Amino acid sequence: MNDLINDLYQEIILDHGREPRNFGECEPHNKSADGHNPLCGDSLKLTFLLNDQNIIEDIKFTGEGCAISLASASLMTEKLKGKKIEVAEEIFKDFTNLVSGSDEDLKVLNEEDSLYALKGVGGFPMRVKCATMAWHAFNQALKD
Amino acid sequence: MDNSKTLNLNVRKDFPILSKKILEKKDLIYFDTAASAQKPNTVIDETNDFYKNHYSNVSRGVHTLSVESTFRYEDARKKVQKFLNARSENEIIFTKSATEGINLVAQSFYEKFMQKGDEVILSLIEHHSNLIPWFFLRDKYGVVLKFANIQSSGEIDIDHFNSLFTNKTKIVSLTHLSNVFGTELNEKAISICKDKNVPILLDGCQSAAHLKIDVQKLGCDFFVFSGHKTYGPAGIGVLYGTENLLSEMPPYQGGGGMIGDVSLEGASYAELPAKYEAGTPPLVEAHGLGIAIDYMNKIGLDNIIEHENEITKYAFNKLDEIDFIEIHGGDNKRNSIISFNIKNVHSHEVSSFLDVEGIAIRAGHHCCQPLMKHLGVNSTARLSFGVYNSLEEVDKFVIALHKCKEFFNK
Ligand SMILES: Cc1ncc(COP(=O)(O)O)c(C=O)c1O
Repeated sequence: MNDLINDLYQEIILDHGREPRNFGECEPHNKSADGHNPLCGDSLKLTFLLNDQNIIEDIKFTGEGCAISLASASLMTEKLKGKKIEVAEEIFKDFTNLVSGSDEDLKVLNEEDSLYALKGVGGFPMRVKCATMAWHAFNQALKD
Repeated sequence: MDNSKTLNLNVRKDFPILSKKILEKKDLIYFDTAASAQKPNTVIDETNDFYKNHYSNVSRGVHTLSVESTFRYEDARKKVQKFLNARSENEIIFTKSATEGINLVAQSFYEKFMQKGDEVILSLIEHHSNLIPWFFLRDKYGVVLKFANIQSSGEIDIDHFNSLFTNKTKIVSLTHLSNVFGTELNEKAISICKDKNVPILLDGCQSAAHLKIDVQKLGCDFFVFSGHKTYGPAGIGVLYGTENLLSEMPPYQGGGGMIGDVSLEGASYAELPAKYEAGTPPLVEAHGLGIAIDYMNKIGLDNIIEHENEITKYAFNKLDEIDFIEIHGGDNKRNSIISFNIKNVHSHEVSSFLDVEGIAIRAGHHCCQPLMKHLGVNSTARLSFGVYNSLEEVDKFVIALHKCKEFFNK
């Protein structure tokens, strides 16, 4: 099988794509945003609960999408749960760099991280939006 | 593969891009002509030649280059007129795209013939390009939009369509060939419009290079298409309109080239077709479109259609045999387009997987989100064929599909 395809669809991606974790709506929640990829019609809804210490207590998503977008959302929720907002924002920046093909100046992510599995998206520029949809929703929710 | 009746047009060599290797080793199989067609050498060379040897602005100056440019631009119009069998060159307006043509008609037709509360009939299978310009009329002016249902075959439900007409129906706009199903518009839809004396616009984006177009025989009042889907350049499109309607409607945009006489108090407008061509047009692209039409004529549109029909039927039957494939639309006659899904695999995965096999197909909503909603999917994979495709490519595609299904369901 082609390396690019194997890099893109690592086992963990296929697994999270098939069975997304933290799928559903957070109750209660105080932050939410919709993610949408107008090019293909994929969409998701992200909800999370930010406590008074600025820690993401719980985070969930629902939506429809390709394996990459679902896996990315699923891995994101796993990663962000329990994190302080400042850290989450650093992860967001790192992740965006990682999937656009530059993993040199990463501050908080490293190769051990499950999110690293999405690095293969860099080989498919048109799929970067799939991988970042959930993250942009997260970023949007913080701004709202 | 059954070779017995393959009509091999043997034109692959005419398209330089088709010798490109994908990821340095895979032969390119281009199954995305419905999104945009590849360009033959003649189009590429002739547009180059235009810039190198003849280029200037059109209809503006009297010097040699202006004359040469104008000649090419107007010659392209003649070719388009013949291609569509329009009555006169005055009925051929160059636009930048089919999209612009539809916007032009929506705006100008409204201004002349419609008011608040008047109705437009569209359908569920329309491309966003044939929806949003009409949404503008709804949002800005209170025009009412009605949408014809479709049958499971992918065709418009004619009875429902017929029932949508009232005495407020002012115009109908429908796709001539669905970019999702490949199904052709039932001629009855046009004759109903004729009977009721309501003008009809046909979105010919997908039909222009895949069906023989005769606007007089079709009896449509407007017909639009884009050069880039007919083997010509992007940036040029065509609006055909009957001289009557085009004469009565006001100009769409104002600028140079579309005026008769201008003073600070006002302006008179140029005759057709210049009236609708404000500003410097995409002249080289228009010439390129003319060359693309020459190219199709040289091969023969009948041959192209027969060739594509054969491939489409072959691919349809192959896909229909595979139990993990769901084809959208019925098994009625299709032209050059098949939309499908692999069960439980998102079309993005299919498209990325095929990409590394050198196979280009489209995945997504195909700018038809209302239709996707109706089908209960959020995207489909789409195969679409052109003059350069072959049955052998379909065989390779089918093998790749099996590999794809295996990979994602492992
Ligand atoms: C049926 C149909 N209508 C309209 C369009 C819009 O064409 P263009 O973007 O060239 O204006 C397309 C192309 O995608 C189409 O397939």
